[in-house]
Amino acid sequence: MRFERSCREVTRLVLESQDRELPLADRLALQIHWRICDGCTKFKSQTDLMREAMKRWRSYRDE
Amino acid sequence: MSEFARQVETLRPQLLRYARSQLRNDAWAEDAVSDTLLAALEKPQSFGGQSQLKTWLVGILKHKVIDQLRRHTREATVLCDDDETDIDELLFAADGHWRDQPQDWGNPEACLGQRQFFEVLEACMEKLPATQGRVFMMREWLELGTEEICKELSITSTNLWVLLHRARLRLRDCLQQSWFASVSRTN
Repeated sequence: MRFERSCREVTRLVLESQDRELPLADRLALQIHWRICDGCTKFKSQTDLMREAMKRWRSYRDE
Repeated sequence: MSEFARQVETLRPQLLRYARSQLRNDAWAEDAVSDTLLAALEKPQSFGGQSQLKTWLVGILKHKVIDQLRRHTREATVLCDDDETDIDELLFAADGHWRDQPQDWGNPEACLGQRQFFEVLEACMEKLPATQGRVFMMREWLELGTEEICKELSITSTNLWVLLHRARLRLRDCLQQSWFASVSRTN
């Protein structure tokens, strides 16, 4: 099994993980990639922040 | 006009803003809000008063908005040039590496605690191309699952993944430019 992914592929997977659960092989590939790639690690944090922001936006909007 | 009707009516502008942000079409938004207010005034007894009036109305609006999307499926899924732009080409070099490295957005609480941040976030959502915006809002505001969105809009899952992918990348880019770039400048 090949676990090497480009930053472009990793980005696609991170965004897809917002809307579906990724297969184990993809999740492992992400873990491996994040260990060596600072840019994609930052992108992951940005995505987490956006997810939390949308969650709070929903609750403050619908109240 | 009853006191209840008056209270419902005062919430109309807010409901209209919500409907517009989801539907991206003024006429459809007007219809969704009219249907909502009509349903509310016909059955005031179903508002138990346990929740706030606005919460109850928004709940009805979400159904009426989906009705509008169903009714206008074809027009709602037309892709404009902006929807079609392949953002990946702008972000990544041919070898799949970032052209510009993503920046550190810092401690999330620093922005999530500020009202202005959410104003910028809403402005960035408004700026999404129409069809991307509709799909993104269906996911994030209506909280529909991906299969449900495909069914309501009669689009393939491939189309949906591309639209969500591009919408999220655009939103990120807008937040970077409109919020985080200026925050790091002032720090």
